[in-house]
Amino acid sequence: MRWIYFVLIVVVVAAANLVAQDVYLKIPADSPAKNPLEGNSDAISAGMGAYRVRCADCHGMDARGIRGPDITQVWARGRTDAALFRTIRNGVPNTEMPAHPAPRTSDLDIWRILAYLKTISPATAAAPGPGNAATGEHVFATNCIACHRVGDRGGNLGPDLSRIGAARARAAMARQIRGTMGSFRTGYEPVTLTTPNGQEIRGVKKNEDLFSVQVMDTRERIQGYLRDDLRSVSDEKKSAMPVFGPDKLSDAELDDLLAYLENLQGTNAAPSSAR
Amino acid sequence: MFRRTSARLAVVIFAAAACMATLVAQSVAPPLVTTQELLNGLASDGSRWLMFGGSYTNQRHSPLTQITPENVSRLVPQWVFQTDTAGRFETTPLLRDNVLYVTGPLNVAWAIDARTGRQIWQYKRELPPTGGLTACCGLVNRGFGVLGDRLFMTTLDAHLLSLNMKTGAVVWDATLEDYSKGYAATIAPLVVKDKVIVGVAGGEYGIRGFIDAYDAKTGARAWRFYTIPGPGELGNNTWAGDSWQRGGASIWVTGAYDPELNLLYYGIGNPGPDYHSESRQGDNLYSDSLVALDADTGKLRWHYQFTPHDLHDWDATQVPILADLTVAGQPRKVVMLANRNGFFYTLDRSNGKLIVGKPYVVTTWAKEIGADGRPVILPGYVPDEKGSLTCPDVTGATNFWPASYDPSQRLFFVNAREVCATYYAWKQEYVPGERYTGGAGQRATGPDMRAWGALRAIDPATGERKWEFPYISPSTSGVLTTASGLAFTGDAEGNLLAIDSHTGKLLWHFQMGSALHGTSPITYMLDGRQHILVPSGTTLTAWALSDIARVPSTR
Repeated sequence: MRWIYFVLIVVVVAAANLVAQDVYLKIPADSPAKNPLEGNSDAISAGMGAYRVRCADCHGMDARGIRGPDITQVWARGRTDAALFRTIRNGVPNTEMPAHPAPRTSDLDIWRILAYLKTISPATAAAPGPGNAATGEHVFATNCIACHRVGDRGGNLGPDLSRIGAARARAAMARQIRGTMGSFRTGYEPVTLTTPNGQEIRGVKKNEDLFSVQVMDTRERIQGYLRDDLRSVSDEKKSAMPVFGPDKLSDAELDDLLAYLENLQGTNAAPSSAR
Repeated sequence: MFRRTSARLAVVIFAAAACMATLVAQSVAPPLVTTQELLNGLASDGSRWLMFGGSYTNQRHSPLTQITPENVSRLVPQWVFQTDTAGRFETTPLLRDNVLYVTGPLNVAWAIDARTGRQIWQYKRELPPTGGLTACCGLVNRGFGVLGDRLFMTTLDAHLLSLNMKTGAVVWDATLEDYSKGYAATIAPLVVKDKVIVGVAGGEYGIRGFIDAYDAKTGARAWRFYTIPGPGELGNNTWAGDSWQRGGASIWVTGAYDPELNLLYYGIGNPGPDYHSESRQGDNLYSDSLVALDADTGKLRWHYQFTPHDLHDWDATQVPILADLTVAGQPRKVVMLANRNGFFYTLDRSNGKLIVGKPYVVTTWAKEIGADGRPVILPGYVPDEKGSLTCPDVTGATNFWPASYDPSQRLFFVNAREVCATYYAWKQEYVPGERYTGGAGQRATGPDMRAWGALRAIDPATGERKWEFPYISPSTSGVLTTASGLAFTGDAEGNLLAIDSHTGKLLWHFQMGSALHGTSPITYMLDGRQHILVPSGTTLTAWALSDIARVPSTR
């Protein structure tokens, strides 16, 4: 009955071949060091469209930064085409910059966006803004550190600022500090919970759904609550961050602080390969 | 030697024959899926779910009543199936003879034991190399079609496959179009008589859309309907110059079928480039339209265009639902559709005439739908380089996630979105296979522009809202209703929700960990217990009541 074994072997081999069909995609090993599409007018116009659709929400229609950083300065500050390609492809871990994997984003798409950005980027870096960073660090230690972390120092109620200089345009930081920024960053929306006995828990909202809310309270306790267990959950109109008007922070102090914040490029943080 | 061999052979033959006889005695081969079963839709015994919308009406309304508003809180999970692939479900599973047939992302599909969630077979199709695929909005699939012992599945590289139901092996493979030109396919096929009806995606890539019918046995193409008329055809002059050649008008959501009228109803996608008016002056037929096609020939019987010369990417690719209504004392055969453009429509499905056209969300671009069936457009909502704020946003008042209709209550249930956007437009040159939108839409944000949504129950005879269940953010989930008065849906935060379909009251919820995106649960009977099957994220979860005893059936 050896022929039966032969038939079985044929069947098993055929099945193994079926299983071996692989849906996972191969990502090209190395991308060119220099943008192959730089200066190509078709690529630039396609890149403009792609930029506006996919990047402008955070980086602004003019690429000078809204929630995300000013990206017209990246070449002048020494970043290479290859590094920028990797940043778009892989994203920046632990930041709002997402990865853009294939096949939805092709190599071509990325090179086009970079070809467009190059046309609106100055060859030399903008002059640094006014202010003394060393003085600014003192301003930070006095006013900000209770809630904001830089490196291994500071509080957790507000966003970590270790790389804020790479992530935000100076003007956007100034607006945030002066209190003229309209919206809250996701995960830091101010909220007040009221318990059935009237106790108020103030904090920032980390997450929520129809039935629950997850907060970090002002003592930095992270905790989830069922809405049914609370008397009320109210979103606050005012940011948990105090407004630093000219009465609290002079224009000169603000400049010093901004100079300090601009220097925070996350260079002390762990693996910087994605930057 | 010879004698020994032949004796052995005789033993083997005898043993094999005996074995076959035993097998036959133990089980009857499952009957083939017939066209009559497809016509019957969701049978009262709950033994099957054989097409995308449950039945040709697309009502997604089950006759089952074991799970009720009173006992729904006693649902408990029976099993969880995980895909072990990237990407999430947007599929409507099929059920036949206690086996589930499920398509997933990335051209993967499964047959799964409905009793245990254990895989019976898996099918994988290799994707083209990186960068070759242009599927704009996720590498997804919306489900199988079925007839006889064959399954039908579209692929991201724009093919239609027939698979053997028992093994997942490919029976035939038909090419819809060349994927490198921007064509893709994500639609669940609709099987009508001996034909498999599908369409192509790619409205953001300058394609020319079409609906195709293929012979279910052979895979030979029976007919093609181009959703943009060619030169010399009626409607071609609604596209300035040669813009018809790359006008989009894709088809990526399954249509409905009326056997009496022998008509197919399909919603057609947006014109391209999406936002730039000067690139394609004219009404741009049959983009953003509902078309009624002869099911045998693919010939156009009538069309109704919801958004002539659309500049906001408002595909009419919502699931059309058929019903028989009484409107103003008259019995009417209607087709209903809650459109991405913000209006709810009830049309006479025999001739395409407007019966009801009413906004169901905040809608700024049109004052109303006129008596002639055309929207009365308000000035100031043409996208340009500076941007214009318009409601609804690009994703729309609703979208491809299926609505449901309960014929006993005469109510239409849809997950609606209250979101506005700033629309930009600019001139863009067309490059084959490249994204071709001529602009962009950016969701409006800020304290006065809160994006939210609600499950809304709409009376299709009047367009009036009966109730709503509001969400904290817009849901992209479909809706399943049952004859016991339940609506099953999900919110964007991952909650599975059971809602009283008469009142809108929330009855039960469970956090699934990922939203039911673009699809709804299905329901069926298995061993005497009604099941709710929920696709969410990368999981399928089967639910049944904890206190109903199993009645095993092992025929």
